[in-house]
Amino acid sequence: MKAAGLLTALLLLLAGAVPAQQVKWNYEKLAARASNTVDVSLSGSLLQFATKFLSDSDKDEAKVKKLVGGLKGIYVKSFEFKTPGEYSAADVESFRTPLRSPDWERIVGVHSSEDGETVDVYLRNEAKGGIGGLAIIATEPKEVTLVNIVGSIDLESLSDLGGHFGIPEGLEVEKKK
Amino acid sequence: MPSLEDELRSALKRREPSPDFADRVLARVAAAPARRGSQPWMRWVAGMAAALLLAAGGLEYRQYEGERAKDQVLLAVKIAGSKLNKAQKKVQMISHRSDS
Repeated sequence: MKAAGLLTALLLLLAGAVPAQQVKWNYEKLAARASNTVDVSLSGSLLQFATKFLSDSDKDEAKVKKLVGGLKGIYVKSFEFKTPGEYSAADVESFRTPLRSPDWERIVGVHSSEDGETVDVYLRNEAKGGIGGLAIIATEPKEVTLVNIVGSIDLESLSDLGGHFGIPEGLEVEKKK
Repeated sequence: MPSLEDELRSALKRREPSPDFADRVLARVAAAPARRGSQPWMRWVAGMAAALLLAAGGLEYRQYEGERAKDQVLLAVKIAGSKLNKAQKKVQMISHRSDS
């Protein structure tokens, strides 16, 4: 009886370790095959701590500060491979599966056969209305990127910032190793 | 004439101390002035210096962690924004093509 209670408590504790709105992606297999990986995992408290260090005088940093101020978490995983074909369509499909719940809605799905790139953008609808989160699955022949933002986000500002930071619009982000 | 060996044996021969040797040593120890301990203010200054060093180290570490977290936020926004931007551009391109 005691053991059962302890197990329940442990399961509840483990369930609580992943915030309810955070997408549960299993990317271990992909990470093992990647030659370069970008892994950003910022939960609410760490995110709020980080925003204190964003400058108000720097134009871009001030925009980021405003953008992420009310967020509960930012999680980004980007895997770069040496050669094309190191990940399968099934791998990518497994990332789409958790986003098929009624809470999520795919707002953009771009699949280009010309350059072999795909971008899927999902929004999480809040019960009260409004946006509760964002998920992006972007693939290129040698790259897979997963983005999960928890909280209400201004998409226009985020997209606008994607063309900033000294990166010409439409060009790829330089990967940090 | 005593040999070198005899001289050494004589020099190294065990000799018992005089009966009052222990008393004399103890009396001298008791008479020696007590070693001066550190002044209370010195201990206070040392404590304050240690506390200040710890606080400075803590602040420095907090600053480092904050800067690191800030860089992570910027990188995450950069990646997320660029992917969203790319999707937006592709949609615009497709709709532009279908219009023309």
